[in-house]
Amino acid sequence: MALELRGVSKRYGEFCAVDGLSMSVPAGSVYGFLGPNGAGKTTTLRMILGVVEPTSGSISILGHPSALFVRNRVGYLPEEKGLYRKMKAAAVIAYFATLKGMTRRQADFRARELLERYGLGLFADVKTEALSKGMGQKVQVLASIAHDPEFVILDEPFSGLDPVNQGVLEEIILDLRSRGRTVLLSTHVMQHAERLCDRVVIIAGGRSLFDGTLAEARSTVPPKVRLKTGDSLEALQDLGCIRELKPMGGGQWEVEMTEGSDPQSVLEACFTHQIRLSQFNATEATLHDVFVKRVGPAAREAAFR
Amino acid sequence: MRNALLIAWREFAENAKTRGFWFGILLFPLIWIVGAQVPALLDRKGTPTRNFVLVDRTGRLESVVEAALGMEERRRVSEAFREWASGHLLPGASLPAMAEEFEFEASMQRVRPLLKTNAGEFVTPPPRFRRVGLPPGVRDTGDIMSLETELRTWLKDGREFVPPEGGARVSLFAVTLLAAGTSSNSAPVLRFWSDNQADTALRERIDGAVSSEFRKQEYVRLGIDPRVVSRVEGSRANVLNLSPRKAAGEEKVGMADLLRQWVPSAFVYLLWVAVFSIAQMLLNSVIEEKSNRIIEVLLSSVTPVELMAGKLIGIAAIGLVMITAWVGTLFGVILWMAGTMSVGAPAGASAGPAAQLPLELMTLLGDSWILPAFALYFLLGYVLYSAVILAIGSTCNTIKDAQNYMGVIVLLMMVPLVAMTFIPRDPNGPIATALSWIPPYTPFVMMNRVTAGPPLRDVLGTLAMLVVFDALAIWGCGRVFRGAVLRTGQPASLVQVLRWMRGR
Repeated sequence: MALELRGVSKRYGEFCAVDGLSMSVPAGSVYGFLGPNGAGKTTTLRMILGVVEPTSGSISILGHPSALFVRNRVGYLPEEKGLYRKMKAAAVIAYFATLKGMTRRQADFRARELLERYGLGLFADVKTEALSKGMGQKVQVLASIAHDPEFVILDEPFSGLDPVNQGVLEEIILDLRSRGRTVLLSTHVMQHAERLCDRVVIIAGGRSLFDGTLAEARSTVPPKVRLKTGDSLEALQDLGCIRELKPMGGGQWEVEMTEGSDPQSVLEACFTHQIRLSQFNATEATLHDVFVKRVGPAAREAAFR
Repeated sequence: MRNALLIAWREFAENAKTRGFWFGILLFPLIWIVGAQVPALLDRKGTPTRNFVLVDRTGRLESVVEAALGMEERRRVSEAFREWASGHLLPGASLPAMAEEFEFEASMQRVRPLLKTNAGEFVTPPPRFRRVGLPPGVRDTGDIMSLETELRTWLKDGREFVPPEGGARVSLFAVTLLAAGTSSNSAPVLRFWSDNQADTALRERIDGAVSSEFRKQEYVRLGIDPRVVSRVEGSRANVLNLSPRKAAGEEKVGMADLLRQWVPSAFVYLLWVAVFSIAQMLLNSVIEEKSNRIIEVLLSSVTPVELMAGKLIGIAAIGLVMITAWVGTLFGVILWMAGTMSVGAPAGASAGPAAQLPLELMTLLGDSWILPAFALYFLLGYVLYSAVILAIGSTCNTIKDAQNYMGVIVLLMMVPLVAMTFIPRDPNGPIATALSWIPPYTPFVMMNRVTAGPPLRDVLGTLAMLVVFDALAIWGCGRVFRGAVLRTGQPASLVQVLRWMRGR
């Protein structure tokens, strides 16, 4: 395991930001760290980084009890992005890389190489205050991986990027994985998590609500089927795997199924009872559905806290 | 340590690129150089010729005034000539002494062979004061009142006219009317009209000439020989200014002693400016990292202690470069002044007090504790203030938040600036001693006392206290820094700050 949290809590006075959180991130994976605003994500990340001490519980990162021992093997992109405004793009990247133990010469070389590779070669000697927001953010992403860390923590890396640069960032993340690096990706854009992550953990109110693979996540939300027919669906009522039949008008129905059931069984039942279908649409639950179902109530509460 | 140095280096390099830094480095010497030159320059070039009308009703004083002004003008031309000639001397040549009664033609003939061939011609400076005739249309009909009424409009409006003597158009600076006193043995009356009440030179000169002439008359009238009077008036008590601190036989107080008393104040001022200009840099640097959230990335790479140490070292280096540049140029200016002055002085003659100033200053700086104390108190004072400023910066998110706190600090810091003006008069008195023992004021006040031989108890005691306070400041402010630096949102309350200091 690249990272392991066991019963980690963080209290600020009365307020409990993180409450007994446990999670395991296998080495070489892209791990989604999902949660609504105020779920305790940033606090958890800061504890993983060793910037904030947990109130209780233990953390093991790259085999060490604190990231303080392995700073140079960890990369971090914080949620709120910012750079030294008066420094040039390459200089900023190189500066952060030297703080992570690279020599100045290595760091300079590496900074220029990264900027070149990800389409910012022309801006290497431009002050960061002259860069667009998106470019600045890319520079910051590159700064977080310039020292080629084994473990990278990216907090909301996609916010503020246009679709093309979101693609570039996905490419960067997949590059990291292909070279065996571990990525902890915090986001609330579920599509990115769906495309990139091997496993996800969903937290809300400082607690873990789900931890597992994407397939496992999806299976926690009952599948839905949409169908269109002129016939009566009375015969389906008795089917065990169907929770509710909702008429949508114009002969269309939405079939809510029980968790873990197979949409194919609806098709089979229709066939058996000679219900003629003009449309049959089985949609798999998305991570979005999983997220909303899991954290919906907690997220509303947090948003108004 | 490596990380702290990396951070220090970045701070140094980035701040050294700012305009503020270079302004700071260049502005001070510029002020010195200009400050050293301006008074002389103003005296020579700044004041235009003052044109005035003189109406004399006594019939005698007119010539007295003209003689006095003429004498002064000749002296001025003589000085200007000397200066011009000394600038064009052949190598190795020196100017001969010149007579009191400056004769331009004769002097030129004597000096010419000593000058370089490309010296050109000496241009007589325009006169300082010039008497002109009445403006056109103004007639002196004998009635003083109506004459004044007419002339005052010329003065008030600054109207220009071609004087009856010819030449370029002029406007009047002053109108002076001389009238006899009410009785035969009372002093004459000088009515001096001018729109410019700040420049009193002309009035003083006419007043002086007329008054002394009247006194002379009175002495004669009373049967006293004016020569006896002037001899008696010229005698003075023999005042010897002595200092008990100096070695036997050398107790006489000279310029060196005055310098010794006042030069530390200049360094206190320098210290103040240095500490505060770099404190501002430090504040900006913390606030930038906080408001941009760069701090998060930094703290995932370095410890708060390394970050703080790096900033302190980097900005201290900036400050040291700055004050080295200042002190360096100060030496440069002194040497340059010494150089230009010794050229102007007659060879063999002992240098005047003005020429001795730079040399005395050099000796003072070389022999006393001023410079080492300056470096020491700069560093110790800087550590104290910068620790507090780092703590302030870490609790604020914007410069605006921080300005509120800084306002208080700057207000408290006015004390040494005010104290600077009276400490030299009583450097080891109760006020100076008390202020020395208040840690934020120690560096400034002790700097101010450095040449006055303060008691060893004060020197070592305050030094030890300052070092302890520096350590305390770093420790306490470091805790605040660690607690506050990752916070966002509103600035921390005082209660929260105290909680951080206590470690929770």
